[in-house]
Amino acid sequence: MRENRGPWYLLTGLALGVILGLGYAWLVQPVRYTDTTPASLRADFKERYRALIASAYQANKDLVRAKARLGLLGDPDMYRALAEQAQRTLAGGDPEEARALGLLAVALGPAPPTLAPSPSGSPAAPSPTGDITATRTITGSLTLNPAASPAQTTTPGAPANLPGPTAALLTPLPTFTPLPTRTPTPTPGAPFVLRIQEQVCNPDLEEALIQVQAFDASGGPVPGVEVIVSWEAGEDRFFTGLKPELGLGYADFSMEPLTSYALRLAKGGQPIGGLTAPECEAQGGERYWGSWSLVFEQP
Amino acid sequence: MSRWIRFALAITLGMIGGLLYGWWGNPVTYVDTTPDSLGIDYKTDYVLMVAEAYSAEADLEAAARRLALLGGESPQESVNQAILFAERQGYTDADVATMRKLLGDLQLYLPAAEGTAP
Repeated sequence: MRENRGPWYLLTGLALGVILGLGYAWLVQPVRYTDTTPASLRADFKERYRALIASAYQANKDLVRAKARLGLLGDPDMYRALAEQAQRTLAGGDPEEARALGLLAVALGPAPPTLAPSPSGSPAAPSPTGDITATRTITGSLTLNPAASPAQTTTPGAPANLPGPTAALLTPLPTFTPLPTRTPTPTPGAPFVLRIQEQVCNPDLEEALIQVQAFDASGGPVPGVEVIVSWEAGEDRFFTGLKPELGLGYADFSMEPLTSYALRLAKGGQPIGGLTAPECEAQGGERYWGSWSLVFEQP
Repeated sequence: MSRWIRFALAITLGMIGGLLYGWWGNPVTYVDTTPDSLGIDYKTDYVLMVAEAYSAEADLEAAARRLALLGGESPQESVNQAILFAERQGYTDADVATMRKLLGDLQLYLPAAEGTAP
């Protein structure tokens, strides 16, 4: 009788052991993550962390430090993450935080070399060279800080280029000077001039917009250009480049119908007044509010 | 070897296998963690960011709100812990001073909790 049982009892024991082991490993004594990294944070906490990085950057203007901190979040594209969050924050009604995020995004500069406009519903505004084709344009030079590089190669797990044990061991007084100078500012020199101002009747646009595009003298889009729009009841500011999917020199502003707006660039240039949402007519005779397209270029 | 001993050995082997799989092969993963679970070095840098932003904004409520994400007993305690860690790890004097300024203002204007950085 006993021999007929065979080795099945061993398998039973093995299965029981596996169940007990897994129960202990997963339920009783699971792996505890007490020293997590910012990359593992929940999405909403990551957004708050990112906003704080931008606020700190506004205070210290230390781009190396800001970039190292953003690297901790593990975003595949820091620029896009910042720009998209800036848009969401602006829509959520916090212009100060949106501005901080936008300025940091602009300071970092765009990562992708080429970007295409979104396939549908995108503004059909013309550019000096035709369609919106966002080409990476870095005005200035990228200078790496050789003094900071050793700190990135030693202590595994330590936040690179951040104040902490690694930096302290290697350099007695680690200072984080804002050396990387991928200058995101518009080409210095002549102010922008208005090249094209035209009405846009595009039924795909859900609202009336003032669409602004800024290009440098070589026809490359320029991010970070501050645009000031004012109307009888108020004023607003926004920046080009916060919608990278539409072009790095692109920005837009939602108009209220029947309200007259004036627009100018913060760095000077001619003001453009009398911008009122034009009335357009669709093919079926249906009427809707159109937009304005303003193209600025540096001579 | 008796059948019971072999049975016990099989259970032990299974347990070892289960533990190995549960701890290394397919451990519990945390992907949506909260800031209070951050390592002390990251927490310290977080506090430093808050202090840097505070130095420009001078908004103590915003600073306290940001520090509250770290959990802990109080914002003061979070800053205090960060200062202690920063001093141990040799942060620059400027960074420590920035955090000390925040701690001082927190203690002055939000004195409900204690902060005891030396």
